[in-house]
Amino acid sequence: MNPDPLTALIIGILFLALLSFLFLPDKGLYFKWKQARILSERALSEDALKHIFLCEQENRKPSLDSLAGVLKISRDQAANLLNHLETLGLLDVSGSGFQLTSDGHDYALRIIRAHRLWERYLADETGYHAAEWHDRAELHEHLLTTEAVNSLSSQLGNPRYDPHGDPIPTATGGMIRPEGIPLTSLPVDKVAKIVHLEDEPEMVYAQLLAEGLQLGMEVRLIEFSPQRVRFWAGGDEHILAPIVAANITVLPLKEEEIVPSEIGEPLSSLNLGESGEVLEISPSIRGAERRRLMDLGILPGTIIDVEMRSPSGDPTAYRIRGAVIALRIEQAHNIRVKKVRQEERQPAMVSKN
Amino acid sequence: MSDQHDITPEQLLKEAQDLRWEVGGDFHEKLMETIYTDAAKIAERAITRPGEKSNFDLDRAIDSVVTSRVWGFPIMVLLFTFIFWLTISGANYPSKLISDVLLGTVRPFLKTLAANLNIPWWIDGLVIDGMYLSTAWVISVMLPPMAIFFPLFTLLEDFGYLPRLAFNFDNIFKRAGAHGKQALSMMMGFGCNAAGIIATRIIDSPRERLIAMITNNFALCNGRWPTQILIATLFIGALVPAHIAGLISALAVVGIAVLGVLLTFVVSWALSRTVLKGEVSTFSLELPPYRPPRILQTLYTSIIDRTIYVLWRAIVFAMPAGAVIWLSANIKITGISIAEYLVNFLNPVGILIGLNGVILVAYIVAIPANEIVIPTVLMLTVLITGAKGFGSGSGVIFEIQSNTEMLSLFNAGGWTLLTAVNLMLFSLIHNPCSTTIYTMYKESGSLKWTIVGALLPLGMGIVVTFFVAQIWRLVANIV
Repeated sequence: MNPDPLTALIIGILFLALLSFLFLPDKGLYFKWKQARILSERALSEDALKHIFLCEQENRKPSLDSLAGVLKISRDQAANLLNHLETLGLLDVSGSGFQLTSDGHDYALRIIRAHRLWERYLADETGYHAAEWHDRAELHEHLLTTEAVNSLSSQLGNPRYDPHGDPIPTATGGMIRPEGIPLTSLPVDKVAKIVHLEDEPEMVYAQLLAEGLQLGMEVRLIEFSPQRVRFWAGGDEHILAPIVAANITVLPLKEEEIVPSEIGEPLSSLNLGESGEVLEISPSIRGAERRRLMDLGILPGTIIDVEMRSPSGDPTAYRIRGAVIALRIEQAHNIRVKKVRQEERQPAMVSKN
Repeated sequence: MSDQHDITPEQLLKEAQDLRWEVGGDFHEKLMETIYTDAAKIAERAITRPGEKSNFDLDRAIDSVVTSRVWGFPIMVLLFTFIFWLTISGANYPSKLISDVLLGTVRPFLKTLAANLNIPWWIDGLVIDGMYLSTAWVISVMLPPMAIFFPLFTLLEDFGYLPRLAFNFDNIFKRAGAHGKQALSMMMGFGCNAAGIIATRIIDSPRERLIAMITNNFALCNGRWPTQILIATLFIGALVPAHIAGLISALAVVGIAVLGVLLTFVVSWALSRTVLKGEVSTFSLELPPYRPPRILQTLYTSIIDRTIYVLWRAIVFAMPAGAVIWLSANIKITGISIAEYLVNFLNPVGILIGLNGVILVAYIVAIPANEIVIPTVLMLTVLITGAKGFGSGSGVIFEIQSNTEMLSLFNAGGWTLLTAVNLMLFSLIHNPCSTTIYTMYKESGSLKWTIVGALLPLGMGIVVTFFVAQIWRLVANIV
């Protein structure tokens, strides 16, 4: 009554292959089908409205070609889409150009609000990598109802900027035009603050992430040539191609806004037995994680001693305000400290009493 | 400021709205940091600390041994081997004692009482042979190991060793995309998966906590150790000369437990790269100072706790299971009991994956409590093969004291070495018991993840046993 084991084995392997073909996360047919459902006609129209809105905001003229390119559809499909939007009263097609009606404008703002709030949510409340925020929000923006967006906004404390520094439109449709200039237009030696990191195209954004650039960092341009842009930011020197550097928006600081601050070094660079005084927790640590670190007493001025390392090399245990706390290297890397020599340390502690 | 009174609330709100754009995105963070820093400064001025340094050096000395590169892992392995050994071997005697009282003394007494009161046979059977017997079985098998393992575990926790365990293990869990504290819930799971799942509360981030919950089932729990030990002794130990049989069967059981740990890493890794994708969000682990454990207090509370827990579990889950087992063996349709129908129905599937119908039926009725798998298997095998001289009637759970007798019964039921190996694998990789599933639902609050946690291991178990069976048969045919 036993089936031939070889046949059974082959059937079993084929069955597993079929299952994984159907249900493999991200690649399986089922997930593709689910994604395709999300990317329905409504999603296309909404993406089209968004594109036209952003073009208008940046004083560029949207065209059939730019629309087809952004949405990855053919020119004919794009033309149909525009017709569809016009019949809905969201778009004004006049002659060769087209522009949003006031309804279309409101609709586009709502989608942008959902997109940027969702990115904020992913950045603050979840563990997704920064490179994934945009794509996930691109899908999720079509699924959120207005009520869901509003309750998300109040849950996040009504944030005004998304994690890339773009302003989030308010529920009533208010939004400022972001200030700032591209890094490539900053005069050499002038100090400025990073206010925006463009998240598209993906490759360029990945490069900015890899450089460790973050919103709020102070930058100073050292050298600018058509081949390269050399600048200081976050205690390191960075060199980028101008086309990449143009995706960084900065706001020049006034003389009085420049706080002379020490850069220090990351906590993770200290060796066993060394001590450091906390300068700051990197702005990239946000939300619950930042609160957790502060709860543990990691604040500017706190002295941290490096106590011991796990036998597997990571995490490392630090002595913080009398308690021994283990942190992983990723976290220790985001805490900047100033090295303290042991002999300097004791008087510093006493003087505060 | 003469026009001060002309400002309407609406204008004021609008002004505030407009100003909010200027304060930037991270003012919450900045505000919080200022408050924290001020609080820290005030506290530092107000608090004086008289020289508290005495224990510190001792702590460092202990830490430098238990977290050292050379000794950290060996100490850990030795310590837990010792605890498991103590649990398994130390539980034998009290288990026998409880079983002698509950099964050897109380049960005959109840039987006589029922006979004297002229209670109909089916009430007597359902209540005494079904419900009472399975409850008594669970208590005698489960209570002693639980009452040994958990107090020891609590003592280690009390002493302060467990956080060091997480500290040592974290890097491996990090690579699997999980949290180092999962080491603790996993160790707890070796005692009881339901307890292990409750222990995942120490993990802050929801994503990593779900991973720890879903994979906890791969820690071989107390209810499954007896099955592993019995089957390994009967089948694996029999392959080698008698003087090393004990060692080899012990190694086989340890091998299964280690396989469970490996599966924990593999499944955590797979989950954190697919459906539970994300980075490790927050990680901080306090390594508290060591302190002398409060031995008596811990023993007392922990034993009382465990006793209540085991009794609760026996009454809530094992009692109904006992009723189901008895009924299924005694309700007959055209002369054949429900249990036999089920066994015959599932037999082809069971044989295909290297098990048999009896084992599958036993795993279905044993969903409430894994520890009744072996007694149910014995009872069903007797029922199916019609072997004489075992137990006391159909649907009555029983225990055979002699291993040779049991082996001959299994052989009559058509068992081979493959059946034994696959039973050990399936016992490690199958759906968690109903208490664990219920705990998972309560702790995660999500039906979806509870279903994943229940069905993922079951699916994996079927796949693993299927492939082992086919490859085994192929090799056997060639050899």
